[in-house]
Amino acid sequence: MRGRALGIGTRAGAALLTVGVLAWLPQYYGATDTALFAKAIYIAIAALGLNLLTGYNGQVSIGHGAFFGFGAYATAILMNDHGWDFLATLPVVAVASFVVGAAVGFPALRVKGLYLALITLGLAALFPDLVTKYVHGTGGTTLVQPPLPTSPGWAQGFAPNDDQWRYYLALTIGIVMFILAWNLVRGRFGRALLAVRDHDAAASTIGIDLARIKVGSFAISALYAGIAGSVGVMVTGLANAGRVETFQLSINFLVAVVIGGTATVLGPVVGAWTFVFLERATQDLFPDQALLSPAIFGVALILLLFALPDGIVGGARRTGRFARRKLQARRAPRAPDFPSPIREDRQ
Amino acid sequence: MDLNLFFSQLLNGLSSGAIYASLALAIVLIFRTTGILNFAQGEMALFSTYVTWWLADQGLSIGLAIAISVAVSFVGGAVIERVVIRPFEKASPLVIVIATLGLFLALNSLTQVVFGTDAKQLGSAFPDTVWDVWGLRIEAQTIGILVVLGLECVALWVLFQRTRIGLALRAVADNPEASRLLGVRVGTMLMFGWGLSAALGSLAGAMVVPTTQALTASSLQSVLVFAFAAAALGGFDSPLGAVVAGLIVGIARALTIQYIEPLNNIELVVPFAIILVVLLVKPAGLFGSTQVERV
Amino acid sequence: MSNTRTRGQHRPIPFLTVLVTTIALVAASCSGGGRSSSSSPGSGSTSTKGGIVDASNCPGSETEGVSGTTIKLGTSLPQSGLYSAFTEILKGESAYFSYLNQELGGVEVDGKKYTIDLVAKDDAYQADRTVANVTALVNDDKVFALFNVVGTKNNLAIRDFVNRQCVPNLFAATGSPAWGDVKYPWVLGSELVPYPLEAKALFDYLEKNSPSAKVAILRASDDFGRAYSETFRSLIKGSKITIAKEETYNPEQSDTKSQVTSLAATNADVLLLGATLLACPDALQNVKASGWKPMTYMSGTCTSKTLMALAGDAADGVMSVTDIMEPGLAAWADEPAMKLYLDKIAKYAPDADAENGIVAYGWTTGALLAETLHRSPSLTRQAVMETARTLKASDVGLLMPGVTLSVSAKDWFLGEMFSLAQYRTALGHFELVGSVLDFSGHTAKITPPDLIGG
Repeated sequence: MRGRALGIGTRAGAALLTVGVLAWLPQYYGATDTALFAKAIYIAIAALGLNLLTGYNGQVSIGHGAFFGFGAYATAILMNDHGWDFLATLPVVAVASFVVGAAVGFPALRVKGLYLALITLGLAALFPDLVTKYVHGTGGTTLVQPPLPTSPGWAQGFAPNDDQWRYYLALTIGIVMFILAWNLVRGRFGRALLAVRDHDAAASTIGIDLARIKVGSFAISALYAGIAGSVGVMVTGLANAGRVETFQLSINFLVAVVIGGTATVLGPVVGAWTFVFLERATQDLFPDQALLSPAIFGVALILLLFALPDGIVGGARRTGRFARRKLQARRAPRAPDFPSPIREDRQ
Repeated sequence: MDLNLFFSQLLNGLSSGAIYASLALAIVLIFRTTGILNFAQGEMALFSTYVTWWLADQGLSIGLAIAISVAVSFVGGAVIERVVIRPFEKASPLVIVIATLGLFLALNSLTQVVFGTDAKQLGSAFPDTVWDVWGLRIEAQTIGILVVLGLECVALWVLFQRTRIGLALRAVADNPEASRLLGVRVGTMLMFGWGLSAALGSLAGAMVVPTTQALTASSLQSVLVFAFAAAALGGFDSPLGAVVAGLIVGIARALTIQYIEPLNNIELVVPFAIILVVLLVKPAGLFGSTQVERV
Repeated sequence: MSNTRTRGQHRPIPFLTVLVTTIALVAASCSGGGRSSSSSPGSGSTSTKGGIVDASNCPGSETEGVSGTTIKLGTSLPQSGLYSAFTEILKGESAYFSYLNQELGGVEVDGKKYTIDLVAKDDAYQADRTVANVTALVNDDKVFALFNVVGTKNNLAIRDFVNRQCVPNLFAATGSPAWGDVKYPWVLGSELVPYPLEAKALFDYLEKNSPSAKVAILRASDDFGRAYSETFRSLIKGSKITIAKEETYNPEQSDTKSQVTSLAATNADVLLLGATLLACPDALQNVKASGWKPMTYMSGTCTSKTLMALAGDAADGVMSVTDIMEPGLAAWADEPAMKLYLDKIAKYAPDADAENGIVAYGWTTGALLAETLHRSPSLTRQAVMETARTLKASDVGLLMPGVTLSVSAKDWFLGEMFSLAQYRTALGHFELVGSVLDFSGHTAKITPPDLIGG
């Protein structure tokens, strides 16, 4: 999918502008909204990883809430019981989630589609039980509440409040994870993911190592979910795992991927922000009718999918292509007066 | 070993297994007829069960209430297919799965809005007789559910293997485009499949809920995990598989609780370990046919 | 120290100041009361600052949330999702506040009348949403205090925040022993009986009536269930009472059949049911079906007419505890408090079921809050929290006659007086067994320390 009509300069400009806006948000908005933005960031991180697995590699998981929880508990316990610094926990979480993800992804070599999804569902159901059995946190519950990073002296100029500082930490981690994902899908690995998704037998005949790709994409997506969990702890201040919460998170990641646009790098990010705001908006719509809010959210989700079946990013691209074609049609008699960028999407 | 205790637990396993199986049947049916995984299956059954409760609460006999609810659910399922799912006809299966998630949220919340949030009591269609057989206590309810399951299996087998409509249903699930070319009314068949599945869900709810003491918004969600497990273990396209696997999952769980103390609270490990092993050997489940590609 | 004031006597600020100062001195002298914040020894207090509740490091305004004649309070509870049945609590407390605002002209604090404005947010029983709600309630809605937030995890999740912000979190709707953690003076549990005390009540009962009983335990696999079993296990040390077997169930599943079969095989004399919500009727039904006939003690969180009705015959004879008059029970029909309750629920919450125990709980907790505000010498967060922490109240809402809720510098648990009760299916109600038991000051002593501290 290299075919974009936008030049490199335009894209760099857009990226800078986006980062600028994201950096400006906590300067303008209060703590409550900043926490919401930070939530969008950690959902986006998990969705970025799940998109590699589901969007690019075609393996559906409804259990990534478990990897999220794994990362959250790893960070929270290391910080709380062993006095680690938040950032120091991230490499550990990354490696551990990767390994656990590879182990869970191993059956993917043989089990496919729906059946694989069901194994991941089992994971999401089992994880909270494991936590209940083995984690004795605050007040004997499964909550672990580590001391959160506070804004250091040198950051007082732009992040005088701790919630701002935590948002910037989350944003920085989010940007790093985004760039990593972007590089992954643009390279050989990304093409291999798509090849395996579209036809695994054919992919293996051209020398793609199926096991490495399938298990590898599982492991990487677990790494992303684990890091998202760590960031989540830093934002909400607690690691928690109920069965409902874990299942809901798993679903939320999937929803973010699909409404953003599967197999697009930007999709999960756009999807995560849309999801978080849609959820908040439906909760605030009728404050006296809280019982209705899940229904409104559900209906909004269905309508959104109906309007944009290939996601927001997919829809935007389609609109862009359509507009360009119109534009070209009008300009047809003339020779193109701008250097034509690579355009593979014109079939 | 206390044999009596062993058989008691076996019976417990059978009775909860029968519950998992009845919901698993509905899941399998919708997969068999439409080729998708319906996350809203449990919540559709939940709504139907509330309808049953409401009818019974109006003074109808429980049998009649179930019959009417099954009929209403059939229509409701067909309408949901037409209104909510059909617009996604051309979308990818993943999008449809997410749409059923939207439906899941909407139905759970609407059920509570319509019927209230307090726990309801739903009478059982079976007598609460308990037979004492050589010291074993066998509940009429368990036997009743097993009999209904058996009948459902036979009826589904006849429907799919011995009727034209069953043939058309299978054809549509396998290849809607080709079926359309062959003159099968694909839309009608899909509506029929959803309706049938909703009707089975209604029946399942009416059997499950009386064994869980009360009808609440969460009545079917806790069972759903096991029902999905049963569907995967048995093979997503095999009704018989769903029933057998449901019983296996139920029995495995009951025996784990009794005999494997280190697995206290995490007894869920056992059914999923069984599933994992079975799927590694037979990737389409115990009774499933191998080409299941759509999600 | 005894409190000579009785309800209805609204006055003496001087007295209260004296009371507070005395308590402060007592607290300072026995440093075992140990707050983590470092106040130098001997820095005795002559002002209201530095009592049990130290507000000297608090950010923000002491009177935040009070504007004109309105006090704004916030609450977070499940109003949607699988635990939405707890919404009934809100109906009970809102009905009380409507009655208070409209018929009594509000609550009188320091000689001035204020109406109460309760902002309720839905958290679907999920701790992270409670955190988001409470942050918004404090930062954006600018509430004066939090009231009756539902759930143990949910209250634990916000505990650090409210402690830092010095926002009173009054009457957390859970009986967890965690509210006895002296590092957190800004959160106080409600009139619910602390779970460990229930184990104590059962233990005392067995010592008297069946001193060599074999006890089977069925409990939730979480902290709630552990509060019952760990306390009971530590209590029976040195007695002839033994544990036959303990089984656990997943609180998100409420299916207890196999566990009950396993316990029934032991044929124990007593069943301790550390369960809640639907697991209670489920377990009772399963016990009946198994043919086992133990004397069953069930968590006080299950003493609702609704849950017992679901259990039907199987609930007959089950024991529990309660400190609130059960609506609908003939014995209370003539109590003025009960008449008032039934009348006002019908008027202000017509869609609520007045006989539902948790509506009665919400009403009573609302009344308790009004009483606390009323007794506060001034309308500051510190003064109100201090008042709550030294509360001695009886005859509030639907509290049973003879029950006094009391807390002090040394005793952080409110609901320590209650009565044993036994369900009678034929009557459809709980009957009281014996007189009111007084366990004031006992909770902290009998609870295993790991259940209180983090």
